[in-house]
Amino acid sequence: MTRQLAPLPSTKPAKPGPAAGLRRRRWTQRTRRDFFVFLALALPNLVLIAVFTYRPLISNIYYSTLDWTLGSPSATVVGINNYITFFSSDDASKVLGTTAVFTVVTVGGSMILGLLIALALNAKVRGTTFARSAVFAPYVLSGVGVGLVWLFIFDPGYGVLAWLLRGIGQQSPQWINDPQLSLVMVILVYVWKNLGYCAVVYLAGLQSLPQDVMEAASLDGANGFRRFISMSLPLLSPTTFFLLITSLLSSLQAFDLIRIMTPLGTGTSTLIYEAYLQAFGAFNRAGYSAAISVILFAILLVITVVQLRFVERKVHYS
Amino acid sequence: MTQHLDRRHFLGLAGMTASAAALAACGGPSTSGTPAATEAAEIDFNGVKPAAKIDFWSNHPGKSQDVEKAIIEKFHAKFPDIKVNLVTAGANYEEIAQKFQTSQAAKTGLPGLVVLSDVWWFRYFTNGSIIPVDALVKQLDIKLDDFRKSLVDDYKYSDKQWALPYGRSTPLFYYNKDHFQAAGLPDRAPKTWQEFGEWAPKLKASSGAQYAYIYPALAGYAGWTLQNNLWGWGGSWSKEWEITCDSPESIEALQWAQDSIYKNGWAGVSSKEAADDFSAGLTSSTISSTGSLLGVLKSAPFNVGVGFLPGGPKAETNVCPTGGAGLGIPSGISKEEQLAAGTFLKFMTEPENSAAFSAATGYMPTRESADMTAVLAQTPQIQTAMDQLAVTRVQDNARVFLPGADQELAKAAAAILTQQADVKSTMTNLKKTLEGIYEKDVKPKLG
Repeated sequence: MTRQLAPLPSTKPAKPGPAAGLRRRRWTQRTRRDFFVFLALALPNLVLIAVFTYRPLISNIYYSTLDWTLGSPSATVVGINNYITFFSSDDASKVLGTTAVFTVVTVGGSMILGLLIALALNAKVRGTTFARSAVFAPYVLSGVGVGLVWLFIFDPGYGVLAWLLRGIGQQSPQWINDPQLSLVMVILVYVWKNLGYCAVVYLAGLQSLPQDVMEAASLDGANGFRRFISMSLPLLSPTTFFLLITSLLSSLQAFDLIRIMTPLGTGTSTLIYEAYLQAFGAFNRAGYSAAISVILFAILLVITVVQLRFVERKVHYS
Repeated sequence: MTQHLDRRHFLGLAGMTASAAALAACGGPSTSGTPAATEAAEIDFNGVKPAAKIDFWSNHPGKSQDVEKAIIEKFHAKFPDIKVNLVTAGANYEEIAQKFQTSQAAKTGLPGLVVLSDVWWFRYFTNGSIIPVDALVKQLDIKLDDFRKSLVDDYKYSDKQWALPYGRSTPLFYYNKDHFQAAGLPDRAPKTWQEFGEWAPKLKASSGAQYAYIYPALAGYAGWTLQNNLWGWGGSWSKEWEITCDSPESIEALQWAQDSIYKNGWAGVSSKEAADDFSAGLTSSTISSTGSLLGVLKSAPFNVGVGFLPGGPKAETNVCPTGGAGLGIPSGISKEEQLAAGTFLKFMTEPENSAAFSAATGYMPTRESADMTAVLAQTPQIQTAMDQLAVTRVQDNARVFLPGADQELAKAAAAILTQQADVKSTMTNLKKTLEGIYEKDVKPKLG
């Protein structure tokens, strides 16, 4: 989208005239009044954001420079040693790899399946209202509850899945003990829980597509697949862009399912879970954990900036 | 929009950065030096009046919430001036430790008395988070010599007593008597793992259960129960502070365990809770805590047998670790609260309360003079756990004293028992990790 913007009037006075002092004073009085109104409206929120978002963020960056055992009253300043330790350890590649796999598969899976479900729900057939509610319901359920129920389903001993597999003469895979299968298990449940959100947002996008354009394409002989690829998908790009940002941020911060389904994080330790395990799990390395959190923050920041600056250019808003 | 960074903006930004750094440094730990943990001073409680109210943080080990409440009611009747508030501070030892450590960091909301497990109390000691209870033992006349020696000695370090035993357990060998009978096996636990190796194929063939034996869930303290296998083969996780998990004996023990799953095919690994798998009939036998005893007896629809842990080719006895939890008093509370907590600690661990706790949970009585007649009449299996206490062995330092080591042991066990990883290289890597933890997190704090 391109916009024609009128040039802004210059705020710099060319030459101070005799009435300039009076004008400045009047402007200053009005500005001051506006400023106080602004303060009255914005200050409470700014204080809350400063205290509950920026202060912990800054504290966390400070803690990342300490060798501090959680619970210990004292710590040693180690500069960037925690970062060096992380990036030079075997854990770094494992954790970053797990984070990448988890994020790409859950975001991609939720969005692709969400879009397919949205297309199905967009069809004018009976029962779509019920189907829409059913698809969206897992998204609003508690992650802890979802994790516990699915853990029972996946249990290779007496889980529902194991029972079904035994019915056809098969043994259940070791979903919980095998680290690779644990990651698959958590990804499946995460996608199941979140695809409803993508489906509902995509459905709203599909229902707001201009019908006249779609009908014109249809009259021109474009079949359903062609209309989807050449018309719907590009016109859905703002929705896709919105979902990409929100899903990516949410996936990189996924915690509850991993915590409940794989408490030791064996095979499922993403950056955020590794930060939790290092500080609040068995190790109590608070400084090291803070460094991992800062790395996660930096990754989130870079992804968001890149998306806003580069990916958004590909988005068609009309 | 472009903005030029002029001097005023630069100074403003610098001021904000300095304020932010100062703000960040305002909380958190002191960076002026790390005191060695062994410097804890003796506390003088003379002339101190107990606080009127304290919190007791528990995870209710062995589903003990009701019996804990009952004991607290009795305490209120005897000491009406001290109110004890029972707080569920977690679902397991790790969660309670997490809450306790976080409160230490926040320097607020600490309890008077806290449940601390075998792998956590030493960390609290090295962090200076708990006080030695010696002064309270003296002042309140707590009969230390009436506690079961092996249980109370677990909390001794640096000539001081750092906690008292509470929900203490050992692992027990649980077996399905019906399966054993159907397989023509004697009604007892095997004396050695080799003997069980001969029994297992018969058990699996005749029982219809998925496994003859199931190893405890790896997330649930695998490092604790695997000490039995290691010790039986003459190995260990460590000897004092020397890491020995890669010794030929240790490797042989873990190789045997791996073979029981992959080569011989009669064993499996529990996904969540071995005691539940056993009760559900998934396996003919397992090893689980004495704290699971009453739950298993209640839920298993078959005859349950319990016995000592099997030995190995090098040691047939003294192959059972102790475990479970004790009670400690935080250092970050007032002397008045510490004294009130000490008074409650004494009451909580008195013989009749120890027996009541044992009857309700299956955990072992911690006092020699606890009258267990009624308890044993109702649950005779507890006698096996009590008898086994005479042949227990103090746990390896690597498991109980190295922060995070239990998790590393579980990961290594997972690699060996669920991914068929090479035992020798896994143990070599584990040794490196454990030595790193000792050098970094423990050695500097021991002074």
